[in-house]
Amino acid sequence: MPESKYIFSLKEWEKKASSELGGNPSSSANWKTLEDIAIKMLYTSEDLEKLSYSETLPGLSPFIRGPHATMYSGRKWTIRQYAGFSTAKESNKFYRENLAAGQKGLSVAFDLATHRGYDSDHQRVLGDVGKAGVAIDSVEDMKILFDQIPLDQMSVSMTMNGAVLPILASYIVTAEEQGVKQEQLSGTIQNDILKEFMVRNTYIYPPSPSIRIAGDIIEYVSTYMPRYNSVSISGYHLQEAGATAVQELAFSLGNGLEYVRTAINRGMEIDSFAPRLSFFFGIGMNFFMEIAKLRAARFLWNKLIQEFNPKKVESSMLRTHCQTSGWSLTEQDPYNNIVRTTIEALAAVLGGTQSLHTNAFDEALGLPTETSARIARNTQLILQEEAGIPNVIDPFGGSYFMESLSESLIQESAKLLEKVEKLGGMTKAVESGMPKQQIEASAARRQAMIDQGQEVIVGINKYKAENAEPVEVRDIDNTAVREAQIKMLKKIRKNRDQQKVDSFLNALTNAADTGVGNLLGLSINAIRARATVGEVSLALEKVWGRYNAPVQSISGVYAGAFPDQKKISEVRNEIKNFAKKVGRRPRIMVAKMGQDGHDRGAKVIATAFADMGFDVDIAPLFQTPEEVVRQSIENDVHVIGISSLAAGHKTLIEELMKVLRQENSEDIAVVAGGVIPPKDYDFLKSLGVCCIFGPGTAIPDAAREVLMSLKVTH
Amino acid sequence: MNQKNSTLLEKILQGDRRAMAKAITLLESTNSESFEKGQELLDSLLPHTGKALRIGITGVPGVGKSTFIEAFGLFLIKLKHRVAVLAVDPSSPVTGGSIMGDKTRMNELSQHPNSFIRPSPSSGVLGGVARKTRETVLICEAAGYDIVFVETVGVGQSETLVDSMVDLFMLLMLPNAGDELQGIKKGVLELADLIVVNKSDGLQEPLAISTQSEYRKAMQLLSSSKKSWDPQILRCSALEKVGMQIIWEAVKNFQDALQNSGEWAQQRRSQSAKWMWALVEEGLLKNFRKNENIKKIIPEMEESVSSGEMLPSNAARRLLEKWASSKKTCTSKK
Ligand code: B12
Ligand SMILES: Nc1nc2c(ncn2[C@@H]2O[C@H](COP(=O)(O)OP(=O)(O)O)[C@@H](O)[C@H]2O)c(=O)[nH]1
Ligand SMILES: [Mg+2]
Repeated sequence: MPESKYIFSLKEWEKKASSELGGNPSSSANWKTLEDIAIKMLYTSEDLEKLSYSETLPGLSPFIRGPHATMYSGRKWTIRQYAGFSTAKESNKFYRENLAAGQKGLSVAFDLATHRGYDSDHQRVLGDVGKAGVAIDSVEDMKILFDQIPLDQMSVSMTMNGAVLPILASYIVTAEEQGVKQEQLSGTIQNDILKEFMVRNTYIYPPSPSIRIAGDIIEYVSTYMPRYNSVSISGYHLQEAGATAVQELAFSLGNGLEYVRTAINRGMEIDSFAPRLSFFFGIGMNFFMEIAKLRAARFLWNKLIQEFNPKKVESSMLRTHCQTSGWSLTEQDPYNNIVRTTIEALAAVLGGTQSLHTNAFDEALGLPTETSARIARNTQLILQEEAGIPNVIDPFGGSYFMESLSESLIQESAKLLEKVEKLGGMTKAVESGMPKQQIEASAARRQAMIDQGQEVIVGINKYKAENAEPVEVRDIDNTAVREAQIKMLKKIRKNRDQQKVDSFLNALTNAADTGVGNLLGLSINAIRARATVGEVSLALEKVWGRYNAPVQSISGVYAGAFPDQKKISEVRNEIKNFAKKVGRRPRIMVAKMGQDGHDRGAKVIATAFADMGFDVDIAPLFQTPEEVVRQSIENDVHVIGISSLAAGHKTLIEELMKVLRQENSEDIAVVAGGVIPPKDYDFLKSLGVCCIFGPGTAIPDAAREVLMSLKVTH
Repeated sequence: MNQKNSTLLEKILQGDRRAMAKAITLLESTNSESFEKGQELLDSLLPHTGKALRIGITGVPGVGKSTFIEAFGLFLIKLKHRVAVLAVDPSSPVTGGSIMGDKTRMNELSQHPNSFIRPSPSSGVLGGVARKTRETVLICEAAGYDIVFVETVGVGQSETLVDSMVDLFMLLMLPNAGDELQGIKKGVLELADLIVVNKSDGLQEPLAISTQSEYRKAMQLLSSSKKSWDPQILRCSALEKVGMQIIWEAVKNFQDALQNSGEWAQQRRSQSAKWMWALVEEGLLKNFRKNENIKKIIPEMEESVSSGEMLPSNAARRLLEKWASSKKTCTSKK
């Protein structure tokens, strides 16, 4: 070892640093992250001494440096772009173009009607068909979706949780009819129902039967589909709903443990299914934290699985897909998003992901266009092929800072996971509402930090562009898609052997009732006989009912995160004056209509508005316009605030205004917010919507504007 | 009575939802004009009120009150009753507004044509909540609802207030035998006519059974608040909608027992008297604080009392004397 001829004295450094900081200690510049982890300005070999692990290697336990021994030097990560819209035919065309242009795997995004187990002709999905994903009603649609895409060669990931049985069954039957056996299929079904109850909101049945479904799928896949991942345990959605890195790790790993226990309790061997569990993480803008997160995740999972005495190394080896954060992307000055996505993609790669989705720059406006999708894909191709990045495994390995940060995340997440375990595991924790509440509190705190400029977002709260040119937005004609789907449904129902269908559906209902029989196997029978997605879902709903997750709320977090209370006291005063004049506080019904389950914005608005002095009613998810109107009349609110993110706004708000008129309740004002492309503003205003708030709205401003519109109407 | 109020009255009597909602807002209003209108309306509604069974439901947050009302309310609607629910939230902070999500736990009930559910925001004053709720009950009765639930979180004194406006007071409990009666005050237990151990389902069922017998023992040591009724301890699962029939039978037995003994009518009469006095107290205090002469010396009195310069009893006497003398000058001016 060469003798160092340089000075290594932290004392000396501290002296110098402190004088550069005007006499303050170097620790005065520590940065507290959202996770409450203090980041120092300098890390040294001393920090490495505090690690709970020492030298490790990729491909070997505990896998901190990567699950595979050769990582990208052996095989690059899979470019897997999540996509789907309109009809199966349209989506199929899009997939094939993308594959031709360098994409490597498919990832299917279904529309919300499908997610929630409704056929396109159901009256509750008027605004949802084909809008936020592709509409699939039956195996016939699925066959069109994969037309000319050989399923024995293409790995396909499907984001499906609620209607997972009919969808996975349709995929298997499609392969079968393509001449591909189920054991040849490779890919992933998300099948992570616990996080649906926490944040993603496309559940159908209550928690316990839902877990049974997950278990049946794990069992079926481990028996018949050796190349297929039976669960994709997802932290990504938690992050997008507001979770910090620590929450994302603890809760997703906790969910994973729950699936493992479910399978073990059925008498399965850990090695028979654990190698087919995969993970999915979100990658936001906190660059180093995200790299450390993937490293920490692998370490922790390896440790957690040891409890079950695996013999195969693959059982405790965490493999993951990643997606860059859509939440971090802005509607304003949207080309900035290309830069953000590049930084995030780099973090995912340096963290050692196995596959990656990069978002398009028009994320906060609508589904990607051909152009924006191309740039998103090229971002990864450039990282893979132009910058020499894949040649070295875990280039951050051994970095004082990175190892230290990984350790902090390991410690903090383990602590939170411990809390979950004390509650009796994630299922119990989810029932208690703890994780959702913690995530919502993080989201409210973060919103407050952005609204007061503590967290900078270029183009939103700093360096705003005066006149950024508008970009083209993909628009889908949901009425046309719905009509096409209904036509197809009619045809299928006419041409099938109804008796056969009924008997398979009855078998499903029976199995739900008795608890006997594998639900996936039974669903495959029904789907093969041309039962629809909605019919299979209904066969189970007959026994289990449709679940409504209780809506919880938090208060005080948003306002509490304003160190400068003056910023909100102005709004508070205006509200007080209103109350004095009108005789009560302004009352708002915050509502979501259709199958749109994005509730982060609605929840943040509700809690922040209440903190500022509004009386806030929160409606349950999945309301029809009629239901919203009745509740608003009964509670005698001044204003209905619709939050719409899944593109149902035009259809559903038009209907809402119609019902308000029918009920002689036009004295109730209507405002809207969410992902509403500016080109739709005029239409909504012409219907009578008072104001519209897009992504990036500072909430105190919105509160004031809503109040203004009430002064006019009241 | 003005035009607007008389049509409001007619519509309420027809059960019009929107009219009921508007009337309740009048009652809740701090604007004196609206408030007066509300009171006037109440007067004219009075002959049409009093016919409902009024049930108070309380228990710690999360015990399942809203879920229970969803289950029990739907059960009663099947028996052809019309069900109104008033959800009171006394727990929100003074600076902000209230955040009300009760209806999300009463999803099916809240969509039913034979239900009416109104969550009320906190007014920052406990007594204020009680007053409005009591009056709101009358609106629901006039609109033809024959069962009215008043849901309130079991914190502080709110349950005593609710007890003074309902016929039957139901306390929901968690299956936690031995958990020292879950911090519920003895006084509250004594008010309860029915104690229902909720969440008696799944793995918690055995615990619920033992909790039930525990409470049965504990209740023997407490005195009952009614002469003609001994409190009962029951069990249910609001989530799985199990136990509703038994609870309904207990409610009917309660009603029979109290009606037969005359205690039913007596309770309503004494509630009315109490209500009158509560209103008198509220009105007096409001006038007192509004009085110009009093307003002037309040800060001084508060200051001297909190700094220890003056005894509270002396300060109170000075304030009351000032009040009495200013009343005299007022009348002499007239
Ligand atoms: C977070 C997110 C998710 C999370 C949702 C978590 C949750 N519990 O909310 C997860 C990862 C689960 C998710 C899933 C899906 N998502 Co998503 N998601 C987003 C994302 C990235 C951010 C939304 C967000 O929460 N922002 C933060 C909040 C605070 O902002 P906000 O809601 O806009 O609210 C602000 C303003 O709009 C306004 N506001 C909003 N509402 C109201 C109401 C009132 C009264 C007022 C005054 C103001 C107001 O004030 C708020 C404060 O500034 C957006 C893209 C984007 N950047 O907007 C896509 C996006 C909304 N998702 C999309 C899609 C397609 C989906 C899926 C349907 C995909 C699929 N096919 O499976 C699923 C299914 C979700 C479901 N159940 O509905 C699409 C919708 C496409 C479209 N509109 O055409 C988007 C636009 C992305 C895209 N371009 O593809 N998603
Ligand atoms: N297991 C079980 N859970 C219940 C039952 N009743 C309510 N809950 C759950 O307890 C939580 C709180 O219920 P809620 O009705 O909102 O309680 P409230 O605050 O007392 O009104 C919710 O998650 C309910 O689903 C029950 O009978 N059994
Ligand atoms: Mg409640």
